[in-house]
Amino acid sequence: MSRAVPGGRDARAAVITALLVILAIALLPMGAYVAILLSWFVVITAGAYVGISPLRLARRGAIALPFLLAAVPVIFLRTDELLWSGTVGPLSFSISGAGLRIALTAVLKAWVSVQASIVLITYVDAPTIVTALRRMRLPDAIATSAGLTIRYLELLRDEAKRMLRARTARSASPVGVGRERIGGSIGWRARTTGNLVGSLFLRAYARAQRIEEAATSRGATGSLSVGTMPAADPRLAMKVIGVFLLALFLTLSGALLPRL
Amino acid sequence: MHLPDGFLAPQLALALWALTAVIVGVALRRLAASREAGGATGRPILMGLVGAFIFAAQMFNFPVATGTSGHLLGGVLAGYLLGPWAGTIVMTTVIGVQALLFQDGGLLALGANIFNMGIIGTLGGTLIARALALALGGGRGARIAAAGIAGWLSVMAGAGITALQLGLSGTTDISVGLPAMLGVHVFIGVGEALITVAALTFIATTAPDLLGAEPVTHTSLARRVGAGAGATAIVISLATLFASTDPDGLNSVAQALGFTHVEAGAPFNLFAGYAIPGLDGAASTIIAALIGAAVIVGLILLLSRVAASRKGDA
Repeated sequence: MSRAVPGGRDARAAVITALLVILAIALLPMGAYVAILLSWFVVITAGAYVGISPLRLARRGAIALPFLLAAVPVIFLRTDELLWSGTVGPLSFSISGAGLRIALTAVLKAWVSVQASIVLITYVDAPTIVTALRRMRLPDAIATSAGLTIRYLELLRDEAKRMLRARTARSASPVGVGRERIGGSIGWRARTTGNLVGSLFLRAYARAQRIEEAATSRGATGSLSVGTMPAADPRLAMKVIGVFLLALFLTLSGALLPRL
Repeated sequence: MHLPDGFLAPQLALALWALTAVIVGVALRRLAASREAGGATGRPILMGLVGAFIFAAQMFNFPVATGTSGHLLGGVLAGYLLGPWAGTIVMTTVIGVQALLFQDGGLLALGANIFNMGIIGTLGGTLIARALALALGGGRGARIAAAGIAGWLSVMAGAGITALQLGLSGTTDISVGLPAMLGVHVFIGVGEALITVAALTFIATTAPDLLGAEPVTHTSLARRVGAGAGATAIVISLATLFASTDPDGLNSVAQALGFTHVEAGAPFNLFAGYAIPGLDGAASTIIAALIGAAVIVGLILLLSRVAASRKGDA
């Protein structure tokens, strides 16, 4: 069972924890695999506390892996600490130990950091994070906009899904075998898709107008910040000091523990 | 294009956070001023709904070729529909929610992601679209075509800057990462441009008053000169940092055929070798290039003034 912060609680400590742990992971030097492993243990311990098993967390963290493609070239382009060089067919290339270290460190850091974000969003729901950020002086226009975006996200996504289903029924679907199944030329498909986007915008605009009229009639001023702030966490300062010490410990571990 | 945490050097990530905070702060001030003046585009509820719309609109894609689909990022579209400042705030929100809710992009890298997509993509893209629309005559067709071109440019610029950031962080080699990112995003940019044009055409036909909310305005000469000077300085600095040190085509041939010694020395040396005398390194080349650009612009302005006065005399 997950241990989520109940709505209406001050979640600043959770947000600060996630940010400081991610910053500490980012500050770890190249090749600090032991320190990265230590950071991962901290993250999976927090994950277990909020009810996510380490394996599930590790699997969900894999969404960072596609960026591995950005780091791979450095393995072959660096010319220092050569591990292997040779030719494959007409191509000659080499594998650099320094490049491998850079790529592996970057990917592992990304993987652990994503897991830290997942723990945060599991522990605290999105509107509570927005409220916490507002308390941390996030500008009201952004907080209100983010709150409304989250609130109406599913509604507009459902609307978009219905429109996509209708498009599929009228043969402009991106899936399918053969030209007949996917409609006309690329220009025609793009125009159809653009029309759907334009139509969805008009629906969003009309809904915004209706909400504005309703809100104005109830005396709203265009901000969600009135009267919704939860009571401040009395132990926030202590928690932040504790988290700061944890982040410092992780950063120092990167400097002191052996590197490969 | 959403960078995860761990790929950027912490110093760069924090610097981009700071830069993003300053620019978003300017956007918020502009938005507040627009709202006080009764502007229609800075309405918080509309901005929130447009944020949710951008999320949903990113689901729409269309087949370009086998295994590739075009889809929308929405930066220029948001900027065009709401104005550049409100559009920037909306995209800032969308990218922030993507990072928090869906782990699409890191928290430490959030400043960089907002900078690449929200500021370069939306603010930069929309301002370019407006400038292009003016250059093309400012009519409805010109504005929509300009939005399409700016949509493509915004995707390419975002991809290029992401590759530069990865290169500066040591995660990838710029000489490989930059062409690879630009090569992939050429096609993604085409999808962005086509959908942006089609969506704006649809809205212009169905609800033309919505596109009139943020009219194309003429900016002052001082601002245009300032923006042009800033853009030139950035391009020159980047071009200088990544310029090849190899000889050009003629010099290369001269070296290969062995007739470089025939070259006569110049009668005077101001900035020989594109460098300031007594100053070494990239800074010397950048300053020399900036002085050169300033001299050229000054000459053009001087000749324009002479031509205008001659026209008045005639």
